[in-house]
Amino acid sequence: MRVLIVDDETLARSLLREHLAKLPNVEVVGEAANGFEAVKLVEDLNPELVFLDIQMPKLSGFEVLELLGERAPSVIFTTAYDEFALRAFEVHAVDYLLKPVEPPRLAAAVERAAERLRNKTPPPSAHDLAVSARPPGRTLERILIRHEGRVHVLPLERIDFIEAQDDYLSFSCGGKRLRKQQTMADLESQLDATRFVRIHRSFILNVERLARIDLYGKDSWLAILGDGTKLPMSRTGHAKLKELIG
Amino acid sequence: MHPILKRRSRLVLYLAVWIVFGLLLTVVFIFGGRAPPLWSLYFAVPMAMLLGMQSLSYWYLVQSMPPGETPIVRMVISWVAAGLASLVAWLVLGYLWAQYLLEPGENYGDETYGILGLMIFAGAIGISLAVLGHYLVGAFERSRNAERRALELQVLAREAELKSLRAQLDPHFLFNSLNSVAALIGNDTAAARQMCFLMAQFFRKSLTLGREQAIPLSEEVGLAQTFLAIERVRFGERLRSRFDIAEDVRDVSVPPLFLQPLVENAVHHGVAHLLEGGEVCVTARRREGFVELIVENPCDPDRPPSRGTGVGLVNVRSRVETLCGHRASVDVNATDENFRVSILLPYTGAAAALRATA
Repeated sequence: MRVLIVDDETLARSLLREHLAKLPNVEVVGEAANGFEAVKLVEDLNPELVFLDIQMPKLSGFEVLELLGERAPSVIFTTAYDEFALRAFEVHAVDYLLKPVEPPRLAAAVERAAERLRNKTPPPSAHDLAVSARPPGRTLERILIRHEGRVHVLPLERIDFIEAQDDYLSFSCGGKRLRKQQTMADLESQLDATRFVRIHRSFILNVERLARIDLYGKDSWLAILGDGTKLPMSRTGHAKLKELIG
Repeated sequence: MHPILKRRSRLVLYLAVWIVFGLLLTVVFIFGGRAPPLWSLYFAVPMAMLLGMQSLSYWYLVQSMPPGETPIVRMVISWVAAGLASLVAWLVLGYLWAQYLLEPGENYGDETYGILGLMIFAGAIGISLAVLGHYLVGAFERSRNAERRALELQVLAREAELKSLRAQLDPHFLFNSLNSVAALIGNDTAAARQMCFLMAQFFRKSLTLGREQAIPLSEEVGLAQTFLAIERVRFGERLRSRFDIAEDVRDVSVPPLFLQPLVENAVHHGVAHLLEGGEVCVTARRREGFVELIVENPCDPDRPPSRGTGVGLVNVRSRVETLCGHRASVDVNATDENFRVSILLPYTGAAAALRATA
């Protein structure tokens, strides 16, 4: 089995590599020290199993899984301690290992991964995992977008508005547009409702960007943004916005 | 708020004292001034209560001139002036009250001048006693406040100790460090041993320091350095640190375990999220009457800043401000790429305030 190790700590990687070397039929094909490298190496090396640390610079383990999407191989998460992530793993029956990893547990986890490979079990939904691993009361803080082979990390405060286009969402930030495959309802449910309001079937607005509201016709309004952009607003959208900003 | 007006029971007691004063005055008027008994009663008791009301204002003068901190000359002059003004006002009001008590067509005889003399005498004594009383109340309030503050400090110190205990058991830190030890044992036993020593040193130090009320800054810096040494085993070249501690602030008393949480934040919320890592800078120097401490670290602009300002910072802020009062301050300066916490502690005040409770 071809294995990739992802962890930002050199010592953690070397320990895992040392343990894995003793297991039969396991070949460590690469090591990644951060999320970006991990995404790239999974695509370049095409491993069958990835040991994925959760807390890493730039991209968390969950975000790596999200970016890999359907190309994600079988995954075993590793963590020293993260109560919310552990709860998410239990809920979604995802395999994980606690650091320092004990060799017998490691062997068992690798065995289960091989089993999943034989049965072609699909990888866990990164989205579901990320949602249930978020501490209570905390909403989404940034959006990950792959665009022309590059990964864009988009902090929410940089987003002006989001527009639905067929199966995609188009994120507008400072005149630039980035597209991502996701549904409006799914994104809306993850956003902080006091900062982002769905003003229309196809538009979510960053409330901070709103400059004024113009009446456009009976039961329809236009949201005018600070940069002059005009967005249509439905009756319910207008009511939601009114309630929020008074 | 005026301590006597703060509670009804105190006000009642205060007025009762003045009624007694009024009764004494009545007796003095009857026997010393040969005034009619009933008139004396009607005149003296309200006048005594009036003097009591006037005297309430002395509290603000007591507050503005705390004993021991005010030059004697200034105190004497102020009190003589205030006392005289008060006495004159009282006499004028007394004259009006005496006129009011007259039946129409009646007049006071010459013997009333004797009453005036007695009034001046009694007023001076009453005012002097009131001033003295207010100073006593002031001293009482101050000692009570000091007691309460000491109690608050004790509670805070306990909390800090608990927090430090929990910080030592920070699961991330502990398990990751153990993971590093496990990894080192395989290929670098000397380094593994060194890591064990560092961890033992860190845990032992934070245990003992957490029990103290105040420690020299150099000890706190030592703890932060041990912490960073452990984290450096994990993060390797990515974690760099620089300490710039001025010679003349090394022995300054500081609350224990107030620097370490800031350094921990700098690592976990700052440097840990940078691919190339970064440098945690700790600076301590004297700035006029203060000790200025700065913890600074680079951070990832893609991470929203809200996560950088955690519970740890709130705790440090509340502790520093309660321990050193409003003269201490904690400032956070966060930009997209840099996070900086600066703390100002009174250079001597911090040490004195802490020593008072030790």
